[in-house]
Amino acid sequence: MEFSKMNRRKALTMLGLTGAAGALSPNLLVSPAFAAKPEEPTGQIVVGVSQEPTVFNPLMPRIEVDDGVHLSLFDGLVRISPDGEFMPSLAAEVPTIENSGLSEDGLNWRFKLRDDVTWHDGEPFTAEDVKFTLELIVDPNFRSWRTTGHDLVRDIEVVSPTEIKWRMEEPFAPYMSILVETLMVPKHILGPLEDRNEAPFNQAPVGTGAFKWGSRRAGDNLELVANTDYFGDGPYVERLIFKYIPDLTVLYTQFKSGDIDITSNQYITPDNYAEAKDLAGKEVTVVPSSTVESVFLNYEKPQFQDKAVREAIYAAIDKQTIIDALYYGLPTPTESYLPQQSFFYNPDLPKHEYSIEKANTLLDDAGWERGSDGIREKDGVRLSFGNSTTSGNHLREQAQQFIQQSLGDVGIEMTIENKPPAVMWGEYWTQSQFDSVIVGIVFTTGADADVTVRFSSDAIPVQGGRGSNTGQYKNSDVDDLLEEAGRIFDQEKRKEIYARVQEIVRDDLPLLPLFQYATVRGHKEGLKGVEPNINTRIDTWNAAQYYWDQ
Amino acid sequence: MTAADIQTTPQRWWHSRGFRRFAQHRLAMVGMAMLFLLTLACIVGPYLLPYDELYIDLRARFSPPMTDDHYLGTDPLGRDIAARLLMAGRISLLVGFFAMVLSTAIGTVIGVVAGYYGGKVNSVLMRFVDAFLAFPSIFLLLALAAFINPSPVMITIIIAVTGWMEVARIVEAEVKSLRERDFVLAGRMLGLRNTHIMFRELLPNMVGPIIVAATLTVARAILLEAYISFLGYGIQPPLPSWGNMLNGAQQYLATAPWLAIIPGITITIAVTSFNFIGDGLRDALDVRTDPA
Amino acid sequence: MAGYLIRRLWQSIVLLIIVSMIGFGVLHLTPGGPLSQYALTPGMTQDAMDRISEQMGLNRPLPIQYLDWAWRMLQGDWGTSYRDQQPVLTVIGRHLFATMLLMVSSTVISIALGTWIGIRGATHRYSTFDYAATVGAMIALSIPTFWFGLVGIYIFSLELGWLPAGNMYTIGDGSVLDYLHHLILPSIVLALVNIAIWSRYMRTATLDVINQDFVKTARAKGVSERRVLMKHVVGNALLPMITLAGMQLPNLLSGALVTETVFTWPGMGRLFLDSLGYNDYPVVMGLLMFSAVLVILGNLIADIVAASIDPRIRLA
Repeated sequence: MEFSKMNRRKALTMLGLTGAAGALSPNLLVSPAFAAKPEEPTGQIVVGVSQEPTVFNPLMPRIEVDDGVHLSLFDGLVRISPDGEFMPSLAAEVPTIENSGLSEDGLNWRFKLRDDVTWHDGEPFTAEDVKFTLELIVDPNFRSWRTTGHDLVRDIEVVSPTEIKWRMEEPFAPYMSILVETLMVPKHILGPLEDRNEAPFNQAPVGTGAFKWGSRRAGDNLELVANTDYFGDGPYVERLIFKYIPDLTVLYTQFKSGDIDITSNQYITPDNYAEAKDLAGKEVTVVPSSTVESVFLNYEKPQFQDKAVREAIYAAIDKQTIIDALYYGLPTPTESYLPQQSFFYNPDLPKHEYSIEKANTLLDDAGWERGSDGIREKDGVRLSFGNSTTSGNHLREQAQQFIQQSLGDVGIEMTIENKPPAVMWGEYWTQSQFDSVIVGIVFTTGADADVTVRFSSDAIPVQGGRGSNTGQYKNSDVDDLLEEAGRIFDQEKRKEIYARVQEIVRDDLPLLPLFQYATVRGHKEGLKGVEPNINTRIDTWNAAQYYWDQ
Repeated sequence: MTAADIQTTPQRWWHSRGFRRFAQHRLAMVGMAMLFLLTLACIVGPYLLPYDELYIDLRARFSPPMTDDHYLGTDPLGRDIAARLLMAGRISLLVGFFAMVLSTAIGTVIGVVAGYYGGKVNSVLMRFVDAFLAFPSIFLLLALAAFINPSPVMITIIIAVTGWMEVARIVEAEVKSLRERDFVLAGRMLGLRNTHIMFRELLPNMVGPIIVAATLTVARAILLEAYISFLGYGIQPPLPSWGNMLNGAQQYLATAPWLAIIPGITITIAVTSFNFIGDGLRDALDVRTDPA
Repeated sequence: MAGYLIRRLWQSIVLLIIVSMIGFGVLHLTPGGPLSQYALTPGMTQDAMDRISEQMGLNRPLPIQYLDWAWRMLQGDWGTSYRDQQPVLTVIGRHLFATMLLMVSSTVISIALGTWIGIRGATHRYSTFDYAATVGAMIALSIPTFWFGLVGIYIFSLELGWLPAGNMYTIGDGSVLDYLHHLILPSIVLALVNIAIWSRYMRTATLDVINQDFVKTARAKGVSERRVLMKHVVGNALLPMITLAGMQLPNLLSGALVTETVFTWPGMGRLFLDSLGYNDYPVVMGLLMFSAVLVILGNLIADIVAASIDPRIRLA
């Protein structure tokens, strides 16, 4: 690893910063300037969710909606602001080279911790808990959801109850982003247990967060109560209730009727936006999400070997109409797999152009001739492929049928093979058995643009790889660039590299990017402190700051 | 001279009296008429309508019934519901019909074999029937649907595979009661093969109950197809079926209720027809069944 | 009788074993698995999935997994839900209440309405009412339940705004009245088919009784029509009623499934569908066994009652 002299200092200062450099005050996150915050936690907030939160150990495999609960119950060492800046949370400061939190080579990390944090049961939070958490994650007997990055951590040393340091096996720039998503669990509770997978803790968690575990009525709701000893800002409500409403139509109805105070995952369906935005007493906003919708191809399938085919399919998709007519104009068309709010987003990618004519020309020129049934063919390969998505996502199913018709116009047969989620995302997906799928994926690692697990040749599960490159995309240039970007800490430089990766991927088209999702979120007008954060997976990331306007 | 001729020939008896009684059964005739009209509409209708059932026109999406030439309105992709409904009818009725043929065949063979041989064979087969009946049919359907690509043919097969047990039970009970009758014993004495006795001698005596059960099986198959397609695991779009036309309709219940109402009424009409006919056949053929 | 019961019991156990084997096999051979819900989780990698699957014992040969499951089951351990992380019995128990509530209220509705329609139809045989009831029952049996639910929601919730469109209670309310309010629509939807079946049954049963000598005699003696009917018809219908209720037991799972889906009712049916969707093997297996036991129990009750009513049926 070589940094140029001129760059080195800057590089390490930049670690953890996106955009503006500068000192990070621990108080930066302190609330927006609203006056009427209650002195004492007052009232309750009902959060409507369409999936049921069921996993309460934040280190175990979970789905998006679980995160919303975790972020209220637990804290990480650092957190990330809506602008993508790292903020200290349980840490007293974000490690940088100035405060000697990081060594110049990026290999030695040192965290200073707050000394005023207690667990919900009154025990003090110390560096031992951090060590325990980091070790638990890589414990082969523990069912942890992500070990990437953590498996590079060596020689963890508790210097004092408020200080911890460790060494990295190799430099790994995205690790700060991963730490944001690594919430701390208590050693004094989980440590003595033999089986942490089945621990009672997992159903009655104890954290450091703004809310404590209240009660759970499984299949219905989950109630958290205010942690009045919270070290940070908030909480301002007595109870935070996650109400599970499995049907989005009902979720919206309940929002309309005022039964729920704020809509969370999966929010208000786009078809209700027009009505929702004019509801009296409700604040409804369109918030970009980091999920990118694409027609995701299985790169190894003979139909897709020819780049002309991939380009032709892309050209034949009337993206804008799909967005405008089916998704009510809410999502943003995109050419990249990164959200456009990302620091690493490359805005200069070639723009998609819907043209049946162009698609036809591309295919004609490449020698794909129409057969007797109107379907093109070349060298015995019929231009016919399956397309799958999970049954039940109506808008996506409509888009799918619309695309099917467009492709039919250029002599490409796309058959629809939708499946139940458990089947769809089983071996069918992980072992690359599909031809193509329509899927919304978050490609980033936390807020970081590292996409090694998605696009590296070494990440193809069906070829023995360790990642989730189920589309079997292979490009040695991309491999090299990703490798390089992971090892350097200069964010500007990384940005350049990732811009190049986006360019190559846009050119290769292993996935045909359709749009970046936008979600329609709503809450009651009197509910303040609600702030979207594209860098987190869920909107209730700052429920600690929610309060009712007095 | 075969053993059957010793017996009074059941066919002719069925033809004369049974048929007359059936023809006089008012509900059955209403059912026949409705089914005939529905079938006719599904066969001829699509040629008369101005729209193709697959033609997507996003500008015309969610048109209410009687908008322009869209007599029954359009769906979320702007496709003509009338055209889809009738094409869906072809598929749904065919799936229902062939599922019935298949499940009746399976049920009959298993029932006859179990009833005729009795003993161990009967025990094994009937436990098998019981085991299948002990599963909620939706479990078997969804589990099987996960294995295959749900084309109409495969849907037909899996509906049949999950729906033959009733027929098997009815047939088994009938065979048991007929097994010791003279004509069967005579057949045995004449040295006829077992398969001959089972399917040539015994089977004709059970045509009544089987037909009744089969008619009701069509009704059941149509409902099942509708249900699994409604859940999204049945017939896949763009191919329309009555069930998959309802898929997603709940979401638009407030804004486009016709999406739900029209296919539902059609399913009800079709299924009612079969149930009426089944009822008429039961009366006409004098089949003893459960009170239901 | 005792010999018969022992034999039936033995058969039932064999049946349960067959059911569990078929169920287990089908479930585990179905593509996909309980981990698929995490496949799209950002940062989730194949090696993490492999490790978890190893820890959960999902990589072992199927027969071993089955024996392990069966052995635990015999010891009363139904396993832990993959999705809920809670004991299967706890999960089932929780949803049982919602389903029982729905079943009981719909059974009450269907027996009450069915009895009335049936008796009236029989006493006014071939009247307009009788004819309408016959046709109505036939149509009721033909309506797709889920669609009837949708229409109900459309009319009573969306258009008229009288009844809630789903859920078991309002958050923050949950009074008895609130539960009842939420119960009305799904109960009626669920009852529809049973009203049809039950009214047909009561009609036949009443006709049988009416034509019997002792009823004619009673009537000749001047006992009022109503009293005769109440005494004899309802008395005679009691056992069959139990039979029919027995036959309804298995529907606890499958019957309510459709209704619960449409009305987002937190009962067993929806639990079943959800668990199937997540491949939550322990819960699905638990529900399958639960429902199989109910089916067998239902059949047993029906057979015994039938035998005790009709001595001609040998307990063979």
